[in-house]
Amino acid sequence: MGHGKYIDPFKAGDSLGLRPRNDNVTPSEASVSHHRVKAGETLNLEYVVLPGESRDIDINIDLIGPGAEAHIKALYLCKADEKVNFRILMHHRAPGCRSTQLINGIAGGEAQVNFGGTIVVAPDAQQTEAYQENHNIVLTETAKVDTRPQLEIYADDVKCSHGATVGQLNADELFYMRSRGVPEAEARTLQMLSFLSPVIPAGREEEIEQVLRSYAE
Amino acid sequence: MLDIINLHAKIGDKEILKGINLHIGPGEVHAVMGPNGAGKSTLSDVLTGRPDYEVTEGSILYKGEDLLAKSPEERAWAGLFLSFQYPIEIPGVTITAFMKAAVNAKRKAQGLPELKAGDFLKLMKQKMALVQMKPEFAKREVNVGFSGGEKKRNEIFQMALLEPDLSILDETDSGLDVDALKIVADGVNTLRSPEKSAIIITHYHKLLEYVQPDVVHVLKAGQIVKTGGRELIDAIESQGFDQF
Repeated sequence: MGHGKYIDPFKAGDSLGLRPRNDNVTPSEASVSHHRVKAGETLNLEYVVLPGESRDIDINIDLIGPGAEAHIKALYLCKADEKVNFRILMHHRAPGCRSTQLINGIAGGEAQVNFGGTIVVAPDAQQTEAYQENHNIVLTETAKVDTRPQLEIYADDVKCSHGATVGQLNADELFYMRSRGVPEAEARTLQMLSFLSPVIPAGREEEIEQVLRSYAE
Repeated sequence: MLDIINLHAKIGDKEILKGINLHIGPGEVHAVMGPNGAGKSTLSDVLTGRPDYEVTEGSILYKGEDLLAKSPEERAWAGLFLSFQYPIEIPGVTITAFMKAAVNAKRKAQGLPELKAGDFLKLMKQKMALVQMKPEFAKREVNVGFSGGEKKRNEIFQMALLEPDLSILDETDSGLDVDALKIVADGVNTLRSPEKSAIIITHYHKLLEYVQPDVVHVLKAGQIVKTGGRELIDAIESQGFDQF
């Protein structure tokens, strides 16, 4: 259950740090986006952050009508000194809405990645389903990943979960593949590809595989 | 094929192998038997190049070359294969993707062109049939959700596909029921030839009833304490390892 008092962001304005609404900007053009999803509508957002890009991705989603849905998939790949920040606020304001978030990424070099994700379920938003997952692989000792998922739930009939992991490429898997003759770089590519595959947008599989190939070497 | 000379190896500060000597000729099948903790799995890990172990003394010649100077993948390309005691699960990677990468890397190392997709799938299907693996396993993630028997069959399938010159079977019989053991043993026997050698590591005689070794070694406390023929298997079965 939530802690403290529920604050309606539409009345509280900037006290929750919300930016002005800007429905006309698509996520690929701007890093700040605010979406209101009405009854029966579905919003799908996909983000890909490739090596060399530093990005601040700030997403505010209000599910304002019954049965609204929002789904976010994001992947990041850093290999130098990129700074990538995700800040996601998923606000369930109406009953029967559903949201999913899956953000997977790999940080190498001296990259710094921050993930802050909050799911708020308003008192009226009964029968909410809200899921958030953020999984990270850190390849070097100098890369830093900080992940802070939060749930604030003010309704009682909800299904919500969040999970975050920060890990490394599995050494046993790597040795197993190498012992069968898969070169180390290729084995790492296969591991990274499988880790990222749930968040690779349809049609971009080959492009991401190419990026990973150069990344693993 | 393989010459192990005075091999000492440790993990961390713990010395596990304390002077192993072993000579394996072409076409020979050697059994290495011993109690738990004798160093059997360490021997197979050192042979395949697992990074956790440090060789402190001795040498290994494989086909006349310094095996320890090679990376794990280079050893595989040179025809070495380890069937893992505990095969590793690789979520998100299918058996087809895994084996295609392995087969083509080996072919590349040998200066051969990559196999065409159709030819590769045909070859895979043929080798899977050898250990009675259903064709749908080709699309499954490597070892994920497999039973113990399915994992071991998957190991022998990979062995058949990669056609190694020296196979090491590390406790391949552990956790297998009689039917699975027979399937695995039949698979191994099919792959025997006058040029291909194998090391069968086990603490149990069962697999050796089906796959008959030419030479039997007893490994105890990091050393080979006895070498003989098949009569050693019976001696171990009746009187255990304490007699050595």
